[in-house]
Amino acid sequence: MYIIKTHNVTKFLQGKEIVSNVNLNVKKGEIYGFLGPNGSGKTTIMKMLTNLIKPTNGAIEIFGQPLTPTSYNMLGRIGSMIEYPIFYERFTAKENLELHCNYMGYHNKKAINEVLEMVHLTNIENKPVEDFSLGMKQRLGIARSLIARPELLILDEPINGLDPVGIREIRNLFQLLCKEYNITMFISSHILAEMEQIADTIGVINKGKLVEEVSMEEIREKNTAYIELVTSNPTKACFILENRLQLDNFKIIDQKIIRIFEQSVTQSEISKAMILNDIDIESINKKITSLEEYFMKLIDTEESNQVK
Amino acid sequence: MSALIKLELKKVKIGWYVKGAIIANILILSFLFIIGYVEKWEGNSVFINYDEAFIILGALVRATFIIFAAVLIVKLVIEEFKNKTVTVLFTYPISRKKLMGAKLMIVGCLTFITVMISNLFLLGAFIALNFFFDIIPGTLPVDKVVPQIISVITFAFATAGTSFISLYFGMKKFSVPATIISSIVIVAIISSHNPVFSVASNVYLPLLLAVVGICVAFMVIRRMEKIDII
Repeated sequence: MYIIKTHNVTKFLQGKEIVSNVNLNVKKGEIYGFLGPNGSGKTTIMKMLTNLIKPTNGAIEIFGQPLTPTSYNMLGRIGSMIEYPIFYERFTAKENLELHCNYMGYHNKKAINEVLEMVHLTNIENKPVEDFSLGMKQRLGIARSLIARPELLILDEPINGLDPVGIREIRNLFQLLCKEYNITMFISSHILAEMEQIADTIGVINKGKLVEEVSMEEIREKNTAYIELVTSNPTKACFILENRLQLDNFKIIDQKIIRIFEQSVTQSEISKAMILNDIDIESINKKITSLEEYFMKLIDTEESNQVK
Repeated sequence: MSALIKLELKKVKIGWYVKGAIIANILILSFLFIIGYVEKWEGNSVFINYDEAFIILGALVRATFIIFAAVLIVKLVIEEFKNKTVTVLFTYPISRKKLMGAKLMIVGCLTFITVMISNLFLLGAFIALNFFFDIIPGTLPVDKVVPQIISVITFAFATAGTSFISLYFGMKKFSVPATIISSIVIVAIISSHNPVFSVASNVYLPLLLAVVGICVAFMVIRRMEKIDII
């Protein structure tokens, strides 16, 4: 079952096409990582999902129902933080959360302390939000989006401004929310290594177009391992690879690094051949293309296609 | 709706308005008293009769609270857009029309009530002061008390409606200065008072402006559902 489905969603702002023909499919209970460079239309799409911006063309379905300018009830089931954690700055964290609960129609006094604990926000009594650091605001924003027990969380760059410890805490929190509470999450980020660790599905957007929508599993399969060999004598090593091992699918990356993409040969076979031929090996190991490389490749091909 | 109004009042903390209104009342009263007293002392009366005094008093009250209303509009509406808190407000499961309606209801009602109470209070206080210091020549026309009260209510209503006009200019670019300045311009137009042509004593122009203002308010509310919050 799909929680979010968009059909050819397009948005023009001041005559410019910001988002064009985007088809998103977000499954129930998954963490969907939404990736894209700055200005690619991520925030605009997220605003369209929360009804802040109306699409020029196309349709959006959330919880299986069409999203219209007046589908306000649906908004009660969505928790969101978009663009920047915005609060009534003169109020304290608790006052902001109380206000939020009142508007959401969620009345559970305990919830406020619960979510503040969840995001590890402490020592904030009587401190107005305007004195918070970005990281603290970010945490409070996540807390606010969670407090009314949403079924769908839409978070724009939620780990922006967090320190490494904070990032780990939030990552764990997301995984907990997804598994224990079965909350579907739609998260945008440009920190790819983070997304790689938590996302189930990745959507890549560039210049307003959805370039790819693929599960992490598939990425891991598609981008199979290659073997990276570091040696002080790459010329000779190449000769061995080509003539002794009959490999031709390899590439010299740096002065000393050779990548072997051939699947038929194992790491030990290569080491053996190198040692037998008296070539020193500084290191040899198996690598998987990271999401970052995958992402850069997608964006690059997109760019070169446009040049043509 | 009443719950929404309560939440709005909680957000803007209305104390400053009440305090400001009290101070404004005291200032207007002292101002009228000093002018009237000093001029009389010098031998020429500014206030020819009660009618004249009441017109000036009413005009001062309306001018003050139209500008107060503009400040309310800034705090309740314009700043919400300017500070982008509206991106949070509009993700609540509440109709945008109702949210905006609640805000404008506060502006309208507060202006109406304050103008009415201030006007009546000042009339009473001024008459009382006059009793002791005899600023205005002639006697108090008792038969005009009821029409005067009706006129106060009508003007209060007209003022509340008129105060929405600055919303039109403020909403264009969510600009605080545009809201305040437009309200000052409106004040300048409706308060002009001289023996040849007095806008301040004429109830029809304010009523006409009130109609315009109420149209502006409805237009803004209706537009809410269509606009993009960028």
